Amino acid sequence: MNAPTAVVRRRRTFDVVRLLGGLWTSIVVIFLLIPIVYVIIHSMNGGNSFNIWKEWGGLTWYRELFDNRSLRATLVNSFKAAIGSTLIAVVIGALAGVALVRRRGRWTRWFMALLFLVLVTPEVIDGFALLRWFFERDFNSPFENGFLGIRGGMVRLWIGHSLFSSAVVTLIVRARLQGLDESLEEAAADLGAPPARVFRQVTLPLMVPALMAGAMLSFSFSLDNVIVSSFVGNDSSTFPLYLLGTVKSSTRPTAGSGAVVLFSFTLVFAAVTALVLRRSGQSSSEIAAHVAG
Amino acid sequence: MRRRLRAPKFLLAIPGFVWYGFFYAIPVLFIVINSFGYKPAVGEKGSVRLDRLSFDNYRNVWTVQFRQVFANTMVIAGLATLICIVVGLPVAYFIAVKAGNRLKALLLVLVIVPFWMSFFVRTSAWKIVFAQSGFLNNFLLDWSLRDSPIDIIGSKPAVLLALVYNYLPLMIFPLFVSLDRIEPELREASKDLGAGRIKTFASVTIPLAAPGIAAGALLTFIPMAGDFVTATILGGAKGNMIGASIYNFAVQGQDTPKGAAAAVVLIMLILMVVAIAGVIVGLAKFGLSLNRRVSLEVAS
Repeated sequence: MNAPTAVVRRRRTFDVVRLLGGLWTSIVVIFLLIPIVYVIIHSMNGGNSFNIWKEWGGLTWYRELFDNRSLRATLVNSFKAAIGSTLIAVVIGALAGVALVRRRGRWTRWFMALLFLVLVTPEVIDGFALLRWFFERDFNSPFENGFLGIRGGMVRLWIGHSLFSSAVVTLIVRARLQGLDESLEEAAADLGAPPARVFRQVTLPLMVPALMAGAMLSFSFSLDNVIVSSFVGNDSSTFPLYLLGTVKSSTRPTAGSGAVVLFSFTLVFAAVTALVLRRSGQSSSEIAAHVAG
Repeated sequence: MRRRLRAPKFLLAIPGFVWYGFFYAIPVLFIVINSFGYKPAVGEKGSVRLDRLSFDNYRNVWTVQFRQVFANTMVIAGLATLICIVVGLPVAYFIAVKAGNRLKALLLVLVIVPFWMSFFVRTSAWKIVFAQSGFLNNFLLDWSLRDSPIDIIGSKPAVLLALVYNYLPLMIFPLFVSLDRIEPELREASKDLGAGRIKTFASVTIPLAAPGIAAGALLTFIPMAGDFVTATILGGAKGNMIGASIYNFAVQGQDTPKGAAAAVVLIMLILMVVAIAGVIVGLAKFGLSLNRRVSLEVAS
């Protein structure tokens, strides 16, 4: 015979909050998904407009993405911008994140203040400021004649897109390292590993989940960036800029098919990230915490 | 113990300092300086003259017409943020507290996935949803739920709806994270001590979730305040958001000093809102510690 349990279980009553919460959550999720469903359906529109459904058109507009050279170029540029700015954001964020946790000092406060300002500045101001900085003609900006090769529109996009996301990556890496004891790194150092090796073989592997999550976020931010791009990019150089250009005329179904293509890539990246995070033994809540920044 | 690094502690943060200094701090400082300059006469070279500094641009930006645009932006962004809190809080609460582990993961995915669809295209999709002879309106008319089709495209409610739609996941996620971190024992304890559901929610859950609410509010409010794309797509010419004005001054109107002044005013307004949010969170924490102290005294 088991000893009678000391825990008195509360009688399971019919939980009204749970029911109403579930109902409300379903409504909100449906609200969030409706436009996505519409986009996917209308990307297969047989007509010539994204907004007005005519007939079933199959994958016509997906083929158009690859047949139309300028359109294909916008997609390729979007990927180039996303990959470049993600790399920058991850490198800067990883280094700064490590320094913030493992090399604390008086400088930490200044850096956090700077990060805070970067995070609260709306994109429209980032874009405006970079526009002036890159194209300044009045007082000899170092970039006017292509200093550091920044004349290239792609480099401008990398810089512009990486500003916000590198700050986010820094915070993610910082959060991850704060949750980890420094003893592992100290042990490696005591066993005679030089600092560079400690970083490569101990700290870096521990940071991988944070870096993946940060990379995923930077990638999706950049792939979809309209506001900063509209200031520093060339006309219709990325897919979102092409879309912005269509707002005055009429939006074609390629808007839908291109969006679905970019969306699929983001989903794949997200799935891989979730897998890596799960491998490293994190629960869905922790993954969410990472993805949310 | 041997100290291995003789380099300064901020060595690893140098790339960050350089990056933000060079591409954030200095450019933004230029904008601030530009806002005191003036636009050169037609035919003269350049877009800003700085040989005579004044507050003229601020005076020009703080006219009745522009104050209206600022107020409009703040009201729309503020209202949309409030709606996001009201809509998002029950969702985050359900996911964090009431849902099982499997359901939790599924719901989180469903909340974030729409966020990865192109911003522009998912905003445009609302035009399809509310089209005059679209599925929704036909349905409402056929079932006699309405006498006339819903006609909101090109109006403020449409912009508000799309803003809430576009930024809602940014509210739900921090809310979820902060609610998820609250140990269930705290709520149990509160109930065991005789507090009802509503009392527990109001005096335990909400104060503990306050940082999440503040984070969500900032994550949604700041981009909304600068967003001009949503209003451009759905509001037509009527959607007068300050972001659109700044864009017009900077890129199309070629009045850099005025745009710079508008940008400085916008960032000031945002910093004010951030400060207010900080104060509210501080008060919530203070209230909580006060509550605790009182309960402890009562208990002892």
